[in-house]
Amino acid sequence: MSVMSREWLLTEQPASRRQAHVGQAYRTWLALRGNRLAMVGLGIIVVLILMAVLAPLIAPYDPIQGGDLRTERLLPPSWQHLMGTDDLARDIWSRVAYGSRITLMVVALVAVIATPVGLLVGTISGYFGGVVDTVLMRITDIFLAFPQLVLALAFVAALGPGIENAIIAISITSWPPYARLARAETLTIRNADHIAAIKLQGASSLRIIWGHVVPLCLSSVVIRVTLDMAGIILTAAGLGFLGLGAQPPQPEWGAMIAEGRQFIIDNWWVSTMPGIAIFVVSLGFNFLGDGLRDVMDPKARK
Amino acid sequence: MGLIDVSGLSVTFIAAGRRVRAVRDVSFSVGRGESYGIVGESGSGKSTVLRALVGLAPVSGGQMTMDGAALQGARPAAFYRKVQMVFQDPYASLHPRHTVDRVLSEPLAIHGFTDRDARIARALDDVGLGQGFRFRYPHQLSGGQRQRVAIARAIILEPEVLLLDEPTSALDASIQAEVLNLLDRLRGERGLTYVLVSHDLAVVAHMCERLLVMQHGRAVEEMTRESLRAQAATQDYTRALLTASEGYRPA
Repeated sequence: MSVMSREWLLTEQPASRRQAHVGQAYRTWLALRGNRLAMVGLGIIVVLILMAVLAPLIAPYDPIQGGDLRTERLLPPSWQHLMGTDDLARDIWSRVAYGSRITLMVVALVAVIATPVGLLVGTISGYFGGVVDTVLMRITDIFLAFPQLVLALAFVAALGPGIENAIIAISITSWPPYARLARAETLTIRNADHIAAIKLQGASSLRIIWGHVVPLCLSSVVIRVTLDMAGIILTAAGLGFLGLGAQPPQPEWGAMIAEGRQFIIDNWWVSTMPGIAIFVVSLGFNFLGDGLRDVMDPKARK
Repeated sequence: MGLIDVSGLSVTFIAAGRRVRAVRDVSFSVGRGESYGIVGESGSGKSTVLRALVGLAPVSGGQMTMDGAALQGARPAAFYRKVQMVFQDPYASLHPRHTVDRVLSEPLAIHGFTDRDARIARALDDVGLGQGFRFRYPHQLSGGQRQRVAIARAIILEPEVLLLDEPTSALDASIQAEVLNLLDRLRGERGLTYVLVSHDLAVVAHMCERLLVMQHGRAVEEMTRESLRAQAATQDYTRALLTASEGYRPA
């Protein structure tokens, strides 16, 4: 690993394409590392990922199969049950741990589906302008005209309840802001001299959009997606809460809150524990998003 | 007939419902191997003439031909092999996320060259940047170095014509001279044809054999380097421009 030394990474005269790219990524990482809140956020997300991967090891009980209904129902937090048990005598800590898998899956899939769609619609719209722009932006307007949760509700109602359909519904409803953002960025980039220069090299529109416009829009869209992650988790939890997301007995955090609703006065921990989990993870994504904005946003850069 | 013939060129922009006639009825002709200057104050339409030549500005009247072939609408790929442009601001004309290597290899990829490494190395040497610059990002370069990269990008396809849009006005004085000398040398070595746009009469007098003075989108008068040096201007505006450029010299 001697070639990956600090000097090698930070040299002003990289000797290869790979060294230049890796060095640039390292510089971004150094800037991000200096941002304390971003590192807290990243830490929370790493913990979430570890929790999802190691769920079978860290969960002491089965998340679906409850214990003895006569003696183990609605037990308060104790050393036996760190977060207590719910009305079906299931260990809440185990359910929260397994629930992180669902949360992570929702977040990852929505990001993977919605980001490219928004980016593509926005850059194409902004780059070509005219009729293409008008048509794509009016479609975007239609999606933006409804509150996200209401639109997601309508889609889930049409597709049928379930976590997969909830993911699809959230993806369908979350790309329009990214398209708007990417379009706005593209409008400022499209008349830049470096775009004129590549046009004069005879580049096709596809090459210009993909190779020249998208990389410049990417950072602001990624920042926005990271900041939206909290909203996506909350929407997924909201759908779960309304019974349209994950179906029982799946340990989805929003659905768990809904199940605990009827005992909220006497057995507060049933709803509170998954609520804290949602809160912490949302906070983590927000911290990371803020940090990424400080580091990557070209407009904020000195 | 020259290599580039422009006759009666007009360019009209429509901005916010208002029609702006940036260029009105401009004609000139540039011979092969010649260096032709276009001079004028800001907003005189001189840069727009260059942009119209390469199809970046909306032409509303007149004809342009190159090598006898009419230039209109979308240019074929072969056109870009022959004509390249260097922009005014080297901070805006290089993609901030692309290395020098990417900037130079992309035109080669577009036009299907296979000996890219050798060509990139030669282009970097030609503009006086060594191999050490190949994998740098623009933010690791100075203004003069960036402009050299932009020139390397323009000559890497081995064009016949270089359109220079104020190539030195964003650089400080000492770097200006270096870049002008570089452009002079490249023209000598490669037999390039230049169309140079500048607001600086001294630069144009140094670089160009003939020049066109423009004001408010119109051609005022065409001069040769000799008549410029002899101050033999026939139009009032040109005389004013000459006086202004003299008054600028340190007393």
